[in-house]
Amino acid sequence: MMEFAWIIPLFPLLSFLLLIVYGKKWGSAAPYIGMLLTFASFIVSLLVLVARFENPTYKAEATWLTIGDATLTAGFEVNQLNALMLVIVSLVSFLVHMYSKGYMQGDERISVFYSYLGLFTFAMLGLVLSPNLLQTYIFWELVGVGSFLLIGFYFYKEEAKAAAKKAFIMTRIGDVALFIGMILLFWQVGSFEYDEIFASVSAGTISSEMITLTAILIFIGAVGKSGQFPLHSWLPDAMEGPTPVSALIHAATMVAAGVYLVATMFPVFAASEAALMTVAIVGAFTAIFAASIGLVQKDIKRVLAYSTVSQLGFMMLALGSAGYVAGVFHLTTHAFFKALLFLAAGSVIHAVHTQDIEKMGGLWKKLRLTGPLFLIGTLAISGVPLLSGFFSKDEILVATWVHGHTILFLLAIIAAFMTAFYMFRLFFLVFGGEARGDTNHVKESPNVMTVPMWVLAFLAIFAGYINTPWFGSFLGDWLTDGNAALGHGHIEGPIWIMGLATAVSLLGIALAWLIYSRKSLSRDWLSSRAPYAYQLVNKKYYIDEFYHFTVVKAASILSRVARLFEVIIVEGLIKLITAFITGLSKLGSRMQDGQVQTYGTVAFLGLAVLVIVLALTGGYL
Amino acid sequence: MDLETLLSYRWSAMTPEFIILGVVAVLSLLDLFLPRSFNRKLLGWLSFASIIAALITVFTLIGDTPVSILYDTFRLDSFAIAFKILLLIGAALAMLLAISYEPEEKLEEYRGEFYYLFLTALLGVMVMSSSGDLITLFVGLELLSISSYILVGMRKNYLPSNESAMKYVINGAIATAITLFGMSYVYGISGTTNIKEMAAALGAIDQQQHLFLLALAFLMIVVGLAFKISAVPFHMWAPDVYEGAPLPVTAFLSVVSKTAGFIIIIRIFIGVFFQVPDLSGNNSLILSLQNYLAVIAGATMLIGNIVALRQSNIKRMLAYSSIAHAGYLLVAVTAFSPFMIETLWFYLGAYLFMTLGVFAIIQVAAWKAKKVQINEFAGLYRSSPFLAVSLAILFLSLAGIPGTSGFIGKLNIFMGALSTEPTHYILASLLIATTVISYIYYFRVLAAVFFRQPQQETKISFSPPAVIVISLCVAVTVILGVFPNIAFDFLHGNFLSFNDFIQ
Repeated sequence: MMEFAWIIPLFPLLSFLLLIVYGKKWGSAAPYIGMLLTFASFIVSLLVLVARFENPTYKAEATWLTIGDATLTAGFEVNQLNALMLVIVSLVSFLVHMYSKGYMQGDERISVFYSYLGLFTFAMLGLVLSPNLLQTYIFWELVGVGSFLLIGFYFYKEEAKAAAKKAFIMTRIGDVALFIGMILLFWQVGSFEYDEIFASVSAGTISSEMITLTAILIFIGAVGKSGQFPLHSWLPDAMEGPTPVSALIHAATMVAAGVYLVATMFPVFAASEAALMTVAIVGAFTAIFAASIGLVQKDIKRVLAYSTVSQLGFMMLALGSAGYVAGVFHLTTHAFFKALLFLAAGSVIHAVHTQDIEKMGGLWKKLRLTGPLFLIGTLAISGVPLLSGFFSKDEILVATWVHGHTILFLLAIIAAFMTAFYMFRLFFLVFGGEARGDTNHVKESPNVMTVPMWVLAFLAIFAGYINTPWFGSFLGDWLTDGNAALGHGHIEGPIWIMGLATAVSLLGIALAWLIYSRKSLSRDWLSSRAPYAYQLVNKKYYIDEFYHFTVVKAASILSRVARLFEVIIVEGLIKLITAFITGLSKLGSRMQDGQVQTYGTVAFLGLAVLVIVLALTGGYL
Repeated sequence: MDLETLLSYRWSAMTPEFIILGVVAVLSLLDLFLPRSFNRKLLGWLSFASIIAALITVFTLIGDTPVSILYDTFRLDSFAIAFKILLLIGAALAMLLAISYEPEEKLEEYRGEFYYLFLTALLGVMVMSSSGDLITLFVGLELLSISSYILVGMRKNYLPSNESAMKYVINGAIATAITLFGMSYVYGISGTTNIKEMAAALGAIDQQQHLFLLALAFLMIVVGLAFKISAVPFHMWAPDVYEGAPLPVTAFLSVVSKTAGFIIIIRIFIGVFFQVPDLSGNNSLILSLQNYLAVIAGATMLIGNIVALRQSNIKRMLAYSSIAHAGYLLVAVTAFSPFMIETLWFYLGAYLFMTLGVFAIIQVAAWKAKKVQINEFAGLYRSSPFLAVSLAILFLSLAGIPGTSGFIGKLNIFMGALSTEPTHYILASLLIATTVISYIYYFRVLAAVFFRQPQQETKISFSPPAVIVISLCVAVTVILGVFPNIAFDFLHGNFLSFNDFIQ
């Protein structure tokens, strides 16, 4: 079965091509085409995953291009990690395709929307199947294009256009670093193949400084894609896109691509303690930083966006603490419960036509299906025992502790507490209490939207049982099977960590309940006690302002100093240079005057210059 | 030379040339004696058939190389065959364009000449690519030049065409003079015109003054040949000539003629100058003069791309774009990497298809327009999605976007520039920077094609030959972009890295 894995990305590609050509003609049939084809992808992915359980890694490749002695190959590979990713991506994509049928109902550009979804899914599946860095990079960029198109889907909205641009440019900063890292690796190893890169790393043919440098450059690429600090601010803005897109791209798949890249390149990272440390610190800091911003956001999707940034930070922390299994495990569970939360949030927005949580409230009685579904997602992400998020988060905490990062461990515990708090704050404000806005016309979403959520809810509850301290670490053993560089399938940690994680999560929920549901603590109980801290967090640590302020201020001071210097010395010089360049451009435009004499003169002058230089230098330049 | 020696030569090596020559003779007679009423387009199809026949015979010659006849003046090696394939494909496609070419003042009176002059020009480049002697090389070059001077001025009653022809002749004469002057030094020092003997004679030189003269000669030959490839400082004729010449001729000049220019450059550089020691005596002359070539390549890329930004006429824009592409190709020549020939071959092949495709689209889409302004293409997507999408693919390829042959070509040049010692990273970054500049003018046209309203409703009439050219060019551009190794495998499989040429 695995030799047919290449067919998986082709279904969504076909969907993209069909819909881009015939979309207008087919109109309302377009969603069914998209659903059918992504479902086919999912089925094949599932078969491939099952096949991978019994068989070793399958890899097929052919020479794509030969440049001099270097050979570039193209192909695909099915190993444990990407077999798992294939299923996650195609499943979430299929569910989002289905959900969008209801959510985008009535939009006249629905066929365009589905074609973009197809393009994105194709790119993401292609990224996952790539056996070498170059191919990964090409799909990596294509994924960015898909994301750009989907964020800017409502291109008539200024914010959407700006957000699409911001997302594209900020991730591109990371991509440049990734590109440089990739070229450096190619220069050192002479190949883009993962296998050969890992082989050279373990054989020690690359200097350790070079490993650290390339690992960090690749990590910067992952930072851009996965919205890690300091390249995170595009992700909340990307919420301008349609909500199903947020669920697919900005929760379950594309943003996880950064984590996936670090996981794929894990042997390189594992060879450099400094690189691992960087990953861990950036991850832990992002986890707590984004969680604290999430505490005060008022837009339902922005809370979820910051929570995504924070959870991705957890995954990075896990990978940076040599917890390969923990990172991948959390990537899996997070994909399910975060997609569920986004879809449920979409269902809420679909019902009340606002994203402001201050205007919601009391929706539990109105949305009899969405409410419980949202609660399941919230419980899972908060790390309440027995749900999937509990197991994967516990795994991360254990990995961090065992690796000896005490401070990062503390940060992670605090972030976990905040997660429980802001998620239940969100839940109580949206579903609890009395309605604060007009809720008379609120209707539950159609089945086509709720069914995908039920599937995700099921997974959000039970996906954790593939890797638990009680029933065996099936996932971990499988993932690390036959590859010692990835570490152990299961890391044994002290039992009190699990207790502590449970305690902080319950504490966070209790605090949220006291403030937002029982109201025994006033809502500004926290903010009045620490007004400055509240303001700081509310303004997202002034990151956007910081960029703006420092750059503008520094520039203006600099310009004043420079002005004096400029007026006296530079101005004169500039006048000279501009006069020279205008003269040159005038000369240039006069040269192309249609006069054949001039053309001859230019040629003669050119020859004369070359010959004179040769004569003066005696042949050496 | 007695009859016996004459008969002992393996004349089969010249079969493609003989086919073209024979058809030229037949065509000129037919054109002379056939009645006026006879549809001369049939002569065009006959020329096309002869080019295809020549192409097929070239393929049959693969593998049986090298053949050297006529006292080493005509040499058929793998290099010659590889490039003849390109030349013949380019000429065949340009011929299809010529068959469907219908200028407004009618071409009927000269249509016959129009076709066989194409063939004589083609004969010139084929002789050039096989020449083993400077004399043959020069005769081929002049055959090409003189034929193309007339072709440019083919529309006798159309003033811009006359103007172009005049400018082309004068500039061409200057260029020829410079090239010849350079060659005369080389002859003076080596005492022979045969490339092989020359290399042997020049390799043994130890006098400083002679080496210095050779460096001078090298520069003169480079500048003279810059005319054919439209590189700085001999680039200025290109926009004017491209604009005024009949469209199939413009296509021919920018593809076949440019390829011919690079053929002589490689022949002379590798055949003659590579063997010459430099002034210090421990390097090849060509390697120590690399910086001069680098300056020319850099200036060509910069001027071509920057001036193209200001053009409103699409033929002029393409002229500057063709100057820019000459610059990219010169980067490969400058770097002189071990895989330079295959890089150039692939790039010229890719360039051939994308450029001819674009010209075919212009011919179909704007055949009525007097001046082919970019505005004429506004809203092309509405009147003909086929043309618009084809144009988009070809322009993306010219701009070097991944997934197209243009990207692979640039990637090869880029890697070549970085793989040599010393590394040409300045040229490589200039290549990237100017490529980015080129996005602006390519995408400006595409924006007009897809997003602007058409000025007036125009009905587009498709002529079958032009449609064949467009479809073929688009298909090859995409296929070579996705599976570039088809071309490289063909090259490696049949020509073994050009061993018999380089030796």
